[in-house]
Formats: sequence, C-alpha cells, structure tokens
Amino acid sequence: MRLLRHCLLTLLVLLLPLAVQAASRDTLRVGLQLEPPNLDPTSGAATATDDVVYATIFEGLTRIAADGTIRPLLASGWTLSDDGRSYLFDLRPGVHFHDGSVLTAEDVVFSLTRAIGPTSTNAQMQALRAITQITATGPLQVRIDLAERDSAFLTLLSLGDAVIVSRATADALATSPVGTGPFRFAGWRRGDAVTLERFDGYWGRPARLSRLVFRFIADPNGAYAAMRAGDLDLFPDFPAPEVLGQLAADPRLKLAITPSEGEVILAINQRQGPLADSRVRRAIALSIDRQAIIDGSMYGYGTPIGSHFPPHSPDYIDLTGLTPHGPAAARRLLAEAGYGRGLDLTLKLPPPAYARRGGEIVAAQLAAVGIRARIVNVEWSAWLDEVYKRHDFDLTIVSHAEPFDYAIYGRQDYYFGYESPAYRALLTDLKAAPDAAARHRILGDLQRRLVDDAVNGFLYQFPHLGVQDRALTDLWVNSPNQVVDYAAAHYGAGDAAGAGPSSAAAGDGWGIWLLWGALVLLLGAAIIGFGPSYVLARLSVLAGTLLGATLVIFALVQVVPGDPATVMMGLNASPEAIENLHRELGLTGSIPARYLDWVGGLLRGDFGISYTYRVPVADLIGERLSLSLPLALLSVLLSVMIGLPAGYLAAVRQGGWLDGVLSWIMRVGIAVPGFWLAILLVLGFALGLGWFAAGGFPGWAAGPGPALSALTLPILALALPQAAILARVARGALIETMHKDFVRTARAKGLSRAQAIRRHALPNALGPVLTVLGLQVPFLLAGGAIVENVFSLPGLGRLVLQAIAQRDLIVVQSVVVLLVGFTVFASLLVDMAYALVDPRLRDGRAA
Amino acid sequence: MNALRAGLLLTGVFVAAGLLSLVWTPHDVTQVDIGARLLAPSAAHPFGTDHLGRDLLSMIQAGAAVSLSVSLLGVGAALLLGVPLGLLAAARGGWVDEALMRTGDLVFAFPWLMLAILLAATLGPGASNAVLAIAILNIPVFARLTRGEARRLWQLDFVAVARLAGKGKARISAEHILPNLSGPLSVQATIQFSLALLAEAGLSYVGLGVQPPAPSWGRMLADAQTLIGTAPWLAIAPGLAILLAVFGLTLIGDGLARHLRRGEGA
Repeated sequence: MRLLRHCLLTLLVLLLPLAVQAASRDTLRVGLQLEPPNLDPTSGAATATDDVVYATIFEGLTRIAADGTIRPLLASGWTLSDDGRSYLFDLRPGVHFHDGSVLTAEDVVFSLTRAIGPTSTNAQMQALRAITQITATGPLQVRIDLAERDSAFLTLLSLGDAVIVSRATADALATSPVGTGPFRFAGWRRGDAVTLERFDGYWGRPARLSRLVFRFIADPNGAYAAMRAGDLDLFPDFPAPEVLGQLAADPRLKLAITPSEGEVILAINQRQGPLADSRVRRAIALSIDRQAIIDGSMYGYGTPIGSHFPPHSPDYIDLTGLTPHGPAAARRLLAEAGYGRGLDLTLKLPPPAYARRGGEIVAAQLAAVGIRARIVNVEWSAWLDEVYKRHDFDLTIVSHAEPFDYAIYGRQDYYFGYESPAYRALLTDLKAAPDAAARHRILGDLQRRLVDDAVNGFLYQFPHLGVQDRALTDLWVNSPNQVVDYAAAHYGAGDAAGAGPSSAAAGDGWGIWLLWGALVLLLGAAIIGFGPSYVLARLSVLAGTLLGATLVIFALVQVVPGDPATVMMGLNASPEAIENLHRELGLTGSIPARYLDWVGGLLRGDFGISYTYRVPVADLIGERLSLSLPLALLSVLLSVMIGLPAGYLAAVRQGGWLDGVLSWIMRVGIAVPGFWLAILLVLGFALGLGWFAAGGFPGWAAGPGPALSALTLPILALALPQAAILARVARGALIETMHKDFVRTARAKGLSRAQAIRRHALPNALGPVLTVLGLQVPFLLAGGAIVENVFSLPGLGRLVLQAIAQRDLIVVQSVVVLLVGFTVFASLLVDMAYALVDPRLRDGRAA
Repeated sequence: MNALRAGLLLTGVFVAAGLLSLVWTPHDVTQVDIGARLLAPSAAHPFGTDHLGRDLLSMIQAGAAVSLSVSLLGVGAALLLGVPLGLLAAARGGWVDEALMRTGDLVFAFPWLMLAILLAATLGPGASNAVLAIAILNIPVFARLTRGEARRLWQLDFVAVARLAGKGKARISAEHILPNLSGPLSVQATIQFSLALLAEAGLSYVGLGVQPPAPSWGRMLADAQTLIGTAPWLAIAPGLAILLAVFGLTLIGDGLARHLRRGEGA
C-alpha cells in the first residue's frame, strides 16, 4: 500500500498544472489551418505562405483595396504609355528592408527579373513573362515594358508572387524572409508556430501590435478547443462551421463572417464518355440542391452561385435561376441522353470538411436522379496527382480560392477538360477591354457562357468564417486579395480576455545529440559488462535489420504516387517551374544513386534537406524529439507507476475481490482506443473543467510549468492504455513465477505469500515486464501520432503524417528509419537488461 | 458469469448486429436528411442522429459488419500465411528458419501505424488496404508463435516415433504438430483479432480505412470530434462500440487461455 501511495503522490506533483503567466495584450495569436511549406512567397504557390508573410513581411509595388481597385504601395505612383505597353513606376523614398538596406530601383529590377528567370520557381512565372524588359531609369524609378496591353498587369503586381525582395537576402527567403513590411520575421517552430515582431524602421504607419504569432491547427477539434481555451485571439478561416454557434455564445469571442474569393464547385471531367454530353452535365447541375448542401456541409454559411463568379463583385450576375433544383428535369435529360437506367461515376473528395461532407450530400442528391456516385476520399497530394494532373476522375468538389480565376476556363487541358474557343475569345476581348463598362459586359458574358455549356456544378461561395477575440479591433479582412491586414489591428480597452502562454519561437536541436551521447555511453557500458563478442553479435543483427529497413522504406516511398514538386507548387505552377524545383530538390538522379546518397548521408548523420521546409531533416527531427521523447518517456513512467503496482496488487490477491476488480479494469483499459480516451479527456478536463489547455505546446522555453501542463492530458491518454497492458503482463508473470518450485520452497520455508512474491517472484517476473516496456518507448514515439493530432502537438508522429500528406518523402524515410532504429535498439536494451536480471542467460550467450 | 461466456455473449451481439445489418437496419445508413440532423437520442433514434441526419444506431450496426469483417479477414489471412511459415521454419531450421525469423523481426521493427500509413499512401486508402496492413503486421506474430511451439513439439517422443515410422517433415508438421497448436493459436488469434479491431478503428479515424458512405466506427469518431460540445452522443456511442467489441474479444481470449491452462494442468 505504501508503494501505491508514493506513486500517486509523485504523480500528483508531476502533473500539477502550474499557473500560466498571462501574455501582454500587444501580441496577436492567429490560428491558421495550414502551415506554409516555406516563407518565400515568390517560389511555389502555397496560399499558406501568403497567409503568413504577405503584407506582414513582404510588400509589392501595388496592392488591391477592399473595393477591388488598385492602390499604390511600394510604388508611390505610375504612368502608362499610350499604347498600354509600358509602365513607369516611381518608388516610395525612405523604404528600408528589415536588414537595414534601402529599397532602390535595382531591387525591383532584381525581384521581377528573378521571378521570370530560367531557374525561377515562381508560380506566376507564365503571367509575369508578359514583361519584355525592366529598366531602372533612376534610383527610384523603374520602367516595365510588356509584350502586349494587359489590363490585369497591376493586379498581377499586387500578388504575393510579385513582392519586392533584395538581392542580398533572396537566397534564404524560404527560411529567413526579409522584406519591407510592418513586421519582421522572428522565429519558426516547425509544425507549430511562426512568430513575427513589429519592424520599427517601417516606412508607413507602424503596426500597433508588437508581436504576431501564427499557430497551425488543421484539426477542427483542436481549433475549437484552442479558441475556447483562449490560446488564440483570431482564426480568420475557422475550419468547423458546425461549432460557430457555440463560439459565438462565448462572451469573449465574436464571429466575423465575410465573403471570400472561393467558389466551391462540383467539377466535372468532360473529356469523354457520358460527361462529354452537355445534357448529362446539365442533368447533374439540375440534380443539385445548393441550399441543402450549404445547410448540410456549411451549417448555412455560404451564398449559392449559378456560375464561377463571386457574388460580392460588382460584375456578378445571379444565374442560379438557370439551374434550379429539378430532379424531374434532370431525369428527363438523362433519359434523353440515353442514360435512363442511370449512370456510375466516381466522386473524388479532397480532405477539407466542405468537400467531404458536401460530397456525401451531393452523392445522395445524385442518387435521387439515378446517378450512382462512388465516393473516393483522397489526400491533397493524391488529389493533385490523380485529379488535377492525370485527370483520373469523373466528379470532384473543390473550392477555387484565387481571385479573378474565371481565366482557368480558358486554359488548355485544365483538369476538368473544358475546351471552348468561344470562351477563349471572350477572355481575349476582356484583356483588351478599353473601359470598365466593356469589362462589365464581357464578364457577364463569361459567366453566362459557363452556365450555357453546363461546364461544372456551381455550388456556393465559400465564406471566411472568422472567429476573434471581442476586444480585437481595426482588423481589416481584405478581399479580393485573400489578405488579412494586421498592421492596424489592436486590442480595444475594456474586457480583454485572459490569455494563455505565448508561443516561444526558439527551436532547439539538442535532442538528437543527447541521443547519440546516450547511445555511445550505453554501448561502452555493454562492452564492459557483457564482453565485446556478445555486443558485436547483437550489433550486427541490429545493423542488418536497419539495412533491411532502409531498403523496404526506400522502395515503398519510391512507389508512393504524387510528386513532391507538384504538391509544393500548387494549382497554378508552370511545368518549367516544377522542373526547376525537381533539380533543386535533387529528384533527377537514378533510383539506386539516390538510395546510396541517402544511406551514405544517414551514416554521416546527414538526414538530407526537407523538401517542403528546406531545412536539414535532422533539425526537424531534433525539434520534434524535444517534444516526443519527453512525452513518450513520461507516459512510460506514468504507465509504470500505475501498471506495476496494479499488477502486483492483483497478483498478491489472486482470486480475491481486488484481483477481480483490477482485472476487469485492466481489460477495459486495454480495450479503450487511445484517441477516444484523448477526446473524452479534452471534453472533460479542457472544455468542461478548464484545468488544462486543450491543445498546442508552448515550448520548453516557456518554462517547465506551462510545458508540462500542456502535456498532461496527452500523457494520460497515452499512458492509461499502456498501464493496463503492463498491469496485465505483470500480473500474469507474477502469478506464473509464483507457481515455480523456488517460490513454493520459499513459502514452505515459512515466508508469507506477499514476502515470497516480493523477494523471489518479483525479480524473476521482471522479464516479460521489461519486454513490454522496451517496446513501449518506440511505440509511443510513433503511435502517439493520432493522440498528437487530437491535441495538435508538434511531435514526431505528426511530422510523419504531415510529411506524407505533403509528399515530403525524405522526411518520411528518415523518421521511419529512426523509429525502426529506436525499436531495434530498445530490444537490444531489453535483452541486456534480461541478462542483468538473469546471469545464466548472459553466460549462455556470451560464451 | 465467467469471462469466456460473457465474452462470447458480447461478441455474439456484435456479430449478430453486423450480420443483421446486411439485410436490415432500423434506418437507411446512406439516407441523408439534413432536417433531422444532430437529434439527441430518442425512441425513434436510440443513439441520436449525426451531422447528416443519419441514424447512429443503424450506422453503428453497419459499422460492426465493416470493422469485424476487416479485422477478421486481416487476421485470418495472417493465420493462413503465418502458421505454414512457422511450421516450415521449425521443420527446416537452418538458414530458412533464420531468414524467416529475421524478416519477421524486420516487420516487428516497424511502428505499425507508420507501416499502415505508408501502405495507404502507396495503394490508396480503403477497406482492402486496411486488411492488407493488418495481415502484414500479423503474419510474423503467428509465424513466431507457431515456430516456437512447433520446435518444442519436435523434441517430443511422439514426433520421434512418427519420424521412425518414416513420415516426412511436411507430413509430421501437418498431422502431428499442427493439431497440437490449435490451443495457443486460437488464444493468440483472439488477442490479435481484438488488436486488429483497435487498429482498424485507428486507421479509419485518420481516414485510411473503409471509405464513406460505408459507415465505420473510427470515422464516426473523427466526424464527431468537433461536435462533441453540442452533440456528445456522437462521440460516446461509437467509442463505446469499439470498447465493448474489443472487450468482448479480450474476455474470450482470457477464457480460452484459462481453459487451456486447466486442460494442461489436468
């Protein structure tokens, strides 16, 4: 009993949530669904990059105002030549980059030349190549010549892809971005947060907030919990419409729902087969009940659209009446086209909830007119590969988030396969449109054309589902440029909400070195203790397993469909930019050469460079291990503290009521899915009682108190099922040894049952317990991935899940090899521990 | 009531519910009815309805068929492949034994979730790939157990008698070794079946298991997560279903093991 009491006391002290210090109210903590792969907006097309760095760190020559007009930014003004092909920009004087250098015309020439150069990975390279010449005509004056008149050129310059960077810092933008904006880069803890600080040398009105922290939480539950727990002040695009009502009821929060540029469409692959028939496509459009989809998948947030155009634009015309919900008409059209008996189609759905939920409703609506849509859920990388690139789909649901993206319907061989010379002619007319009235008329024609040809099912306009701290004011959600302007944001006086710990930016890579050190020490001890031949034999088995593992992993990873470069570059990338990226990532060599490269690197301790983050994989792993290793070890510790005493008690009282009760608890503990336990813990202790943060990790730099507090629930969720397993194994092993002769002899000598167990059975029963323990650490390191997801912790398991989704294959390879190494090494440790417990074994093997 | 009987009863309920779902469920599980969504438990919907207005009881019932069959197929395939491999390793010994056991070690060295995720990324998510992942992970379990037990049996007198009678290794394995393995194998298979149920739930939870509209317990939990504040029954019922199904199998495993021990002791 004393043992148990000690364990419980230690447990309490360890897990006691310490007071959390409040963050000052000039920090804004923003939740984003997607983490940017890198922080350079001029390479790749990840909108997640723009969400963090555009208009905060980086600025372009122009910007788009809320009313859609173009305003000056780094250019104070411009003139256009009469033929519309030559712009003369005057630059704003006194603009400084964050490294202290001054913005000059040279920087503009450099930035745009770099964007269209032969090795460019700029997603807008194709469009920017309309530029024929860029000349610095003065220290603060630039002339840009175009191949032809382009009414959208100033808009193009306002995109994140066309921001101005300096030559000195251009090569390192991916990891340490330097721009001219009101905030400068302060730190990035990968998988968790990017921190920006106010730039005091800003040319314009300085930002009112001193610090911006972007935290990345894709999981709707994590996002909800973080908002409720006060860990975040703003979530501009909240991932779960179903809980907005609950969030709005929270007195500290308010909703900010604004229209976005995202048209959600049911895209139809119209290359061949039944879907090439416009009657079938029209039947699909007619079978759709837009309001039911909005209600069902978006909980009523969203505006129905009849064509591919945002309703908040002055050029929008409401065409929803042309394809009303009409199942009867749809059936007639299908019969007319020869599909009266129905039709089998596949509906491929990307991960976001709007697509997955909307897809189930669309499938049900299609079924009502006789179209059997088979749902296939795919990851983004698979969607890009199968749907976007290889056109292997019939139907898909996706939101087209880019502004002015009606131009995609004019593209050659775009994923849904719409080829219309008439539409392309309209686009050409639009480019040459002399005035706003002409533009307005042509934009109307474009919208009508898409409905007449029944190109896609047009569902609804996606809203920005913003949730924010009530005290936060002057936050300008910019549209149509997908930008939230943080420069003027601040907290109003009054009922400021209590804030949790602020994220620290520093990442540390000590974990991996600690590991190597421990390894060498252990091996040294093993050689002294067991003799070199025993250790050598074990090491050769270990090396063989690891070599086999590298081969298996590498082979598996080679056949994973989906190209990392395509995933990184997104929807708008040109083939040339993707080719350049391939070369940059070293993906052009032969397969054996790449394998040898990789294994050679592993032996030298070089795990390669992450494709997405562009930092050494070893650094990433070190960062994640600094969370995952303590998490796994503490979980094992807790499971031992609960499991061993429980197993011991049950064994001592074998057959008694205590044993009965404990045995049933153990069985239940084994049967509980860890992630379900995690969800229940969040419900009870984070949302209900509010004792712990519901997710996220403040970093060890925030001090052991907040860090351990954040890990408490995850540790419980991981440890309790393990404790049940351990207790069962311990009980079984103890009972078995108790029936051995030497224990019987001990009892015959006159020892009590408990004494016999403690002195004789316990040491001998440790073997199976050690085996289970040895497997627990690697199991928890990797298998914690699902629990890490529930709590949105930046751990090792989640790194792999994320890396697979982004096709960051080098990270996948290296982490899995590392985990295999852990497992093999742990079993080596267990064997050596066995030998220590039972010297007969050691002598037998060492001989 | 003893463990074995309780386990059989519990598992029987799930099997019966699953089988019944093939021909009848209280409501159509693919029927989307937005008007009836997120209803609290009532007489019409004993477990309530989900975010698309589907009846939770029906989904759990149909989910039982999916979860049980995926796990059963995975473990069954592993038995069919693992046991012969184990018999082979024990009968041949030498390099065959070494190679098979090292390969098993290799599979054991992989964290199961990582292996399953890699497989799903390669072959695409779906029920058949969940079966494959479960099978691959379980083959070495059965191979190892079979080999260990078989090696012990090979030392025994009755096998020596059979060898003297001129029977070949394959025939001895089939006629004398295998029948004696049924006890430990059935205990292990029950345990692996329960673990496979947990693994299947985990895979569906991360979206790698059976695909919608086919219901699955793991995905129901994933769907329920964000709604847990407004509709807690969504997260309770599927979680309990997983727990009880695994629990039932654990009880059977325990009961079988005790039965076996008693048989040996006698």
